[in-house]
Amino acid sequence: MNMSRRFGQAFLLLMVFMVLFPLLWTLLNAFKQNVDILTRAPKFIFTPVLDNMIFVLSRQSVLQALVNSLIICLVSVVVGVVLGLPAAYAIARYPNRITDELQFFVLSLRFLPPVAVAIPLMVIWLNLGLYDTRLAMIVTYSLLTISITIWLSVPGFQQVPKEIEEAARVDGCGVYAVFFRIALPVAARTLLGAVAFSFVLIWNEFLIALMLTTSDARTLPIVASEMSQLGMDVPWGILNAAVILLSIPPLLLLGLLSSFMNSVFSRKKK
Amino acid sequence: MNNIINRLAGSVSSVAIATSMVGATGLMLAPGSALAQDGPVCTSPVRILAQPRDGLTLLEEYAAEFEELSGALFQIDYMNEGDRRVRSQADASLIGRYNIYYVDEANLAQFASSNWIVPLMPHYPAEYDFDDFDPGRVATATYDDTVWFAPIMGGGDLLVYRTDLMEAAGLEPPETLDELFEVVAALHDPANGIYGIGLRGQRGSGANVWRWMPYFKGMGGEWFVDGEPAMNSDAGVQATKTYLDLFEYSAPGTRTGSWDESTGAFRAGQIALIIESAPLAGITLDSTQSQVADRVGFAKPPAPLTGGGFAHGFAIGERANQSDAERDCAGLWIAWATSREQELRRLEIGQAGELNRQSIFASDLFAETFGEGLPAALTETAEVTQVNFWQHANWPELGNHWGIILEELITGTRDDIPAALAELEAFAANLSD
Amino acid sequence: MFRQKSLPYVFLVPTILILMILAFVPLGYAINLSFRNMTLFRPDSSYVGFENFVNLWSDRRFLNALWVSAKWQVITVTATMLAAVFLGVLMFETLSPRQRNIMCLIFLVPVLLPRVCAAFVWRFAFHPLYGIFTYPYRAITGEPLEILSNPNLALWAVAYVDLWQWGFFFAVIIVKLLEALPHQPIEAARLDHARTWEIHAYITLPMLRAQLVALTLIKAIESLRSFDLIYVMTRGGPGISTETLDMYAFSQGFIEAGRISYASSMAVIMLLLTIIIFTIIWKRVRA
Repeated sequence: MNMSRRFGQAFLLLMVFMVLFPLLWTLLNAFKQNVDILTRAPKFIFTPVLDNMIFVLSRQSVLQALVNSLIICLVSVVVGVVLGLPAAYAIARYPNRITDELQFFVLSLRFLPPVAVAIPLMVIWLNLGLYDTRLAMIVTYSLLTISITIWLSVPGFQQVPKEIEEAARVDGCGVYAVFFRIALPVAARTLLGAVAFSFVLIWNEFLIALMLTTSDARTLPIVASEMSQLGMDVPWGILNAAVILLSIPPLLLLGLLSSFMNSVFSRKKK
Repeated sequence: MNNIINRLAGSVSSVAIATSMVGATGLMLAPGSALAQDGPVCTSPVRILAQPRDGLTLLEEYAAEFEELSGALFQIDYMNEGDRRVRSQADASLIGRYNIYYVDEANLAQFASSNWIVPLMPHYPAEYDFDDFDPGRVATATYDDTVWFAPIMGGGDLLVYRTDLMEAAGLEPPETLDELFEVVAALHDPANGIYGIGLRGQRGSGANVWRWMPYFKGMGGEWFVDGEPAMNSDAGVQATKTYLDLFEYSAPGTRTGSWDESTGAFRAGQIALIIESAPLAGITLDSTQSQVADRVGFAKPPAPLTGGGFAHGFAIGERANQSDAERDCAGLWIAWATSREQELRRLEIGQAGELNRQSIFASDLFAETFGEGLPAALTETAEVTQVNFWQHANWPELGNHWGIILEELITGTRDDIPAALAELEAFAANLSD
Repeated sequence: MFRQKSLPYVFLVPTILILMILAFVPLGYAINLSFRNMTLFRPDSSYVGFENFVNLWSDRRFLNALWVSAKWQVITVTATMLAAVFLGVLMFETLSPRQRNIMCLIFLVPVLLPRVCAAFVWRFAFHPLYGIFTYPYRAITGEPLEILSNPNLALWAVAYVDLWQWGFFFAVIIVKLLEALPHQPIEAARLDHARTWEIHAYITLPMLRAQLVALTLIKAIESLRSFDLIYVMTRGGPGISTETLDMYAFSQGFIEAGRISYASSMAVIMLLLTIIIFTIIWKRVRA
C-alpha cells in the first residue's frame, strides 16, 4: 500500500513536471538570443537578454492589439454580466419548463461551430461597413459572454439559500431588491469565477477574431500567431516572449477560477 | 497608433524643409516637380502590408526622414509570405485598410486585372529614376503593358553551395541533373549533421510549387496546351518524380517547411547545397545571418532547370486611396522606400537581399562587398531565368491546389503521381473557363 | 404585485431576444450563403440551389475532413476522459487535501493558456532539430525526429496538446467530485478489504456516472474547437492529414480561394451534424 502510494505520488510529480516544464522552457527561451535557442542540446545556462521582450512590447501592432484585446474583452464581459446575470437568476429562481428550455437554448449556442458564425458575420459586418472594428468584435463576442455567463452563473444562484431571500422578502424587500441586495452578494464568489471564465474564454478566442479582423481591430492572439508564422529567420526568442506576454492575463485569474471550481463542486458536501 | 497620430499632429513639416533635407542627403529633387505643392503630400499615416525584409526593418529607422519628406509617418504590418498573400487579397478586394500592398509575380495578374491596385507610374515621382531598376524586375512588374509595382527584391535562381564540403569531397558544383544527384548523394552525411540539399515541401504556389516548377518547365512541361490543361505529361510525371527523389536528401523539417526552414538550415551549416531564389546569396554572405558566410560558392542551377524569375514590390492600393492625392502619397512612399539611397544604405551594412538597381549592381561598393563570384553567377543565371508559372489571374488558385497535392506526395500520404497530376488537370479545367 | 411577477420577464426577455438575434441572423445568413455561389473576390453572385452540397460529396478533401474530424473527436474525448479519471483517482488516493489543492492549482494552468500559446509552445517543443521534446530521441539516436511533418503522427501530436490542456483540467474536476462524495460507502468498502481500484471501479465512479457523462459531453463540445491548435501547429498538413472540417472550411474560404459560399455550405453541414447529434445526446442523458 505504502509502496504504491509513493509510486503514485512520484507519477503525479512527473505530471506536474509535464505541465510546468514546457512553460518554464518557453519562459527561459523568451530571454535567449537565437544562438542560444537553436542549439542541438538544450541550453540551461546562458546570458539572459531583454531584447525579445523589448522588441515585442515596442511593436506598434502589439500595443494596438493589447489595447484592442483589453477593450473588446472588458466591454463584452460587462455586456455578458449585465445581460447574463439577471437571466441566470431568473432561470435559477423560476425552474419550470420554459426556463428549462431557455437554459438548453443557451447551452446549445455552445454547439455552434465557430466557422458557421464567423463566415456569415464577416459578410454581414462587411455589408454594414463595420468589418474590422472593435464594435463588431464586441457585438460578436457578446454572444459568447452572455451565454457563458448564464450557463456558469445558474448553479451559483441555485446555491443561494431560499430562506435568506424569503427572510428579506418578509422584511419588505421587493424581488428586484432581493436580487441586487441579497442574491448577488451571497453568490458573489461563484459569479466572479463565472465572469473570470468568460473573460479568459474571450481573451483566448482565435478563430472568430482571425476571420473578423484584418488590421485595426486585431486582438493579441492574432498578432501573436502572426509573429509565430513570420518566417524569414524565425525569431524564436521573440515568439517565446510574445507567448509569455499573451499568457499572463489568464494566469493572473488562476486563483479566482480555482475558488470558483471549489465553490461549484463543493455544494454536494452539505 | 496614438503615437503616430500625435507625432503627425505635431509635425509642421513642409515640402520646403523636405527638399533641403533630401537635397542634403544626396537625392536630387527637381524644383517645380509635381510634388512641390504647398503643404505636405500625405495627410495621414501610410499603411503598408508587407513581408518581413531586412531592408524594411532598416527603413523603419528612417521614419522621421519620410515624415520630413511627406508630412506623415508610416506603419508596416508584417506577415509571412502565405499569410501576406491571403490577407492582401482579402483587404484589397473587400476592405481597403492598407494604402500599399506588397505584390509579387504570382499575384500581380490577379491584383491588376481585378483593379485592386492602380498603375504606379502616374504617382511615382520622376526624380527617383524608375528606369534605374533592373530590366528583368521591371518586366516582372509589368502586366498588360503597365507597370504596377516598384521592386524591393527579385531575380532568378542560384545554386548556392558549401565550398569547404565540395573541396573536401573533391567535387565540382553540378551542371546537370545527373551530377546534381551524384553530388547531393556524396555530400549527404546525416550522421555528421550535413544534409545533401534543402527543398521546400510546404504547400503553396510560391512555396513547394515554386521550387518544383523549374523541374517541370526545364523538362519541357507546359501548364496549358491549346487552352487545355497539360500538366499530366511525361514532363510533369518526370519532374515530380525527380523532386520527390531529391527529398531523400533534404534536411529534416523541410518536407513541411518553406523558404525559412530550408534556407535557415543552410545558413546554420546543415546543408551542402541548395537551389533557391537569388536573394539567398547575399544573405548567406552576411555573417550576422549566416554561420557559413566564408564558405559559400555560387553557380547557375544545373541544366535543364529553368530559374524561376520573380520580383516582389510595392503597389498602390485602389480601395484605400480613393483620391489622386492619396495615391501620390502612396507613390511617394514607394519611391522613397525603393530609392537608390535606400539601396545604398542596405548595401553599406551588407544587406544584399533587397537590391534592385542597375547603378547599385555596377557600383564599386557592390563588387567590394560581394566579390567576383556572386556577380558572375548572377549574370550566368539570368540566361536561364524564365517565367515558370501560369500567367493568369487564377494562378494563385491553381498553384495552391497543386501545392496541397504536392505536399501530400512529399509527405507520403499519396504516391500515384499520374493520378495526382490528373486531379490537378481536372481542377485546372474548371478554372480556365 | 405586478412588480413581483415581472422579474422573470424583465430579466429574461431582452437577454434571450438579443441572444436569438446574435445567433439566428448569422445562421440564417450562412444558410442563405450556402445556396449561392459567392466568392470573396468577385462582387456578383447568384443562387445555385444545392450545387455546393452536391459538390461536397464528390470532394475528397471534404470527405477526408469529415473523417479527420471524427477521428479527432474520438481521440481527444477518449484520451481526456481516461487521463482525467486516472489522474483524478490517483490524486484522491495518494495526496493529502493540502497537496491536492496545490496540485489542482497547477493542473489548471494549461487550460487557461490561450490555445494559440499552447500550440506554439508545443510546436517548438516538437521541432525536429531544436525541440525540447525531441531532444531525448536526438540525443540517443543522433537522428532528428520529425513529428509534425509525419502524416501518421501529426494528428496524434496535436491531439496530445489538446489532452495536455484538457486532461489536467478535467482531472481537477474529478478530484473535486470525488471529494464531494459521501464518505460512508467508501469507508465501508475499505473495512471489507476492497482494493483501492475496486472501490473506485465499483463504488465511486458509478456514483459519479451522471457527472462523468456530462463531462464527456462537454469535452465533445469543446473538442469541436480544434481550429486554433491545428491552424498554428500544422495548418491541416502534412498534406491533408490533419485537415478538420473547420480548417478546410477556413482554407476554402480564406487561404486558397475565396469560395465563401462553398465554405458556408460546409459550415451548414457541420452545424446540422453537431446540433442534431448533441441535442439528441443531451436530451437523452438528461431524461
